[in-house]
Amino acid sequence: MTELRVLISDDDVMIRDVLREVLDSESDIAVVAVAGDADEAIRLAERHRPAVAVLDVRMPGGGGARAAREIARLSPGTAILAFSAYADRASIAGLTAAGVTEYLVKGAPNREIVEAVRRLGRQAG
Amino acid sequence: MDDDRFRLLVQGVLDYGIFMLDTGGRIASWNAGAERIKGYAAEEIIGEHFSVFYPAEDVAAGKPARELEVAVAQGRLEDEGWRLRKDGSRFWANVVITALYDERGELQGFGKVTRDVTERRAAEAALRESEERFRLLVQSVQDYAIFMLDTGGRIASWNAGAERIKGYAAEEIIGEHFSVFYPAEDVAAGKPARELEVAVAQGRLEDEGWRLRKDGSRFWANVVITALYDDQGRLHGFGKVTRDMTERRNAEQALRERRRLVGHLVEAQEVERRRIAWDVHDESIQSMVAVGMRLQLLAARLPEPHASAVSGLDESVSAAIARLRGLVSRLRPPELDRHGLVEAVSAYVDDVAGRWGLAHSVRDDLTAEPSPEAAITVYRICQEALSNVHRHARATRVAITLSTVDNGTLVRITDDGVGTAGGDAGAGHFGLVEMQERAEAAHGWLSVRSTPGEGTVVEFWLPLLPDVPELEP
Repeated sequence: MTELRVLISDDDVMIRDVLREVLDSESDIAVVAVAGDADEAIRLAERHRPAVAVLDVRMPGGGGARAAREIARLSPGTAILAFSAYADRASIAGLTAAGVTEYLVKGAPNREIVEAVRRLGRQAG
Repeated sequence: MDDDRFRLLVQGVLDYGIFMLDTGGRIASWNAGAERIKGYAAEEIIGEHFSVFYPAEDVAAGKPARELEVAVAQGRLEDEGWRLRKDGSRFWANVVITALYDERGELQGFGKVTRDVTERRAAEAALRESEERFRLLVQSVQDYAIFMLDTGGRIASWNAGAERIKGYAAEEIIGEHFSVFYPAEDVAAGKPARELEVAVAQGRLEDEGWRLRKDGSRFWANVVITALYDDQGRLHGFGKVTRDMTERRNAEQALRERRRLVGHLVEAQEVERRRIAWDVHDESIQSMVAVGMRLQLLAARLPEPHASAVSGLDESVSAAIARLRGLVSRLRPPELDRHGLVEAVSAYVDDVAGRWGLAHSVRDDLTAEPSPEAAITVYRICQEALSNVHRHARATRVAITLSTVDNGTLVRITDDGVGTAGGDAGAGHFGLVEMQERAEAAHGWLSVRSTPGEGTVVEFWLPLLPDVPELEP
């Protein structure tokens, strides 16, 4: 079984680092790129074509919604997992409009994050 | 007309006593009016001297004889005065005595016409008395300066209120032009004369503005000038009523200023709450989320019992995150910015009323969404009102209705709790005062109706768009 190649994008460095560590500690997942804003996420997704992109909803450069739209266009094989501090319907609606179907609220157990990434990665694969 | 018919006419007249005296003043004829007025029948009085009609003091003073002398000397005499009836009672008489001469110029006697004008005199006296009382009333009014101007604007009368408000005694000011009450800039602009012109053109003029006291100090006056006309429609002068509104104006300004400050305070409070909410949300919660994720990683790598201990820590962090999210939501309800007022209020009621075990309902009859400023005020008042229901009402259910009325948002919060005596739910209670101040700062109103045993209704209304430039950031 090949490793799931994952991109992480979050403007909060603490979240970014721990999320990378959580995913990298799984033997079947490899974090191939880490971005701090939407533009960087789009650029790195186009270059690395990851199976899954974990995108913070609110980050500089248009947020997760813009990054999701651009990544879907530039790297159609990449599945998107939104990772948000918000649990409200407006944030979810904005992402659904950008084609995002998987959504996790920050604070969810690591196990759920890993499972969501695996599920999306298999679908994409 | 022949003599007989003329005699019948005179005999029959009831309203005038018409009779003849001989040259010595003895009564020579009598008519029905004389009988009615004086009470004597003809046969009783003819041949008597007419001084019987005069009070004793007039007789003693020789008045009857003197009146005949004057009538002889001047042809006629008119007099008004007290006369006596047969029963001794007095009446006020108008008397005309005419000297009568024959063709040769010989004095034949006197014609006397007497009218009873007691009632007319009483009416005149009553009118005079009423006018005098009214004059005294106006004179003594302290709260209003009430005075007259002549047609040229010179002061013609003065009352106690005028003296109190303006500081001039009557003798100092009567005859002066009323422009002395106006500040120099108004006089230069021709305002006093223009006010009289308007009063003439429109009958009356009302004005508010600064006026001067005798000592030069200013007061804020409400002034009404009324043009006064006589019976022929000629301008007679002006009535001027002036009130000193300085205190009321100061009180109004103080109230406006207070509302402005409360408005600023409320706005600053909201800005600060939003800032704290963002800080907690973006900094504290994010950090704690990262800490929690690290604790989970750590627990996975540690042997027992350390793994369980670290997992326990992670659970504490998760619980703290949940509490902080609740705080953020109370500080700045995210629904308010994103889904509008009703959604935000509903979410809040669902949350708190559910926890307090209150049955609850929210009815949405809004046809217009209030401005963000009004929406946050509505939300805060609902929060406070619900918290009062929880703390004081001992209610089992609460209903909130929101509707659009009069270009504003009307909100009614009804509970079925114990209510309060006196109809006002704890007036002076801090929460109520705060709710009222919030509503008034947003140019609305708030009222509380409460009956013991029948629950409480908090009702408030805020304009959709608060037209308060000073509240804009």
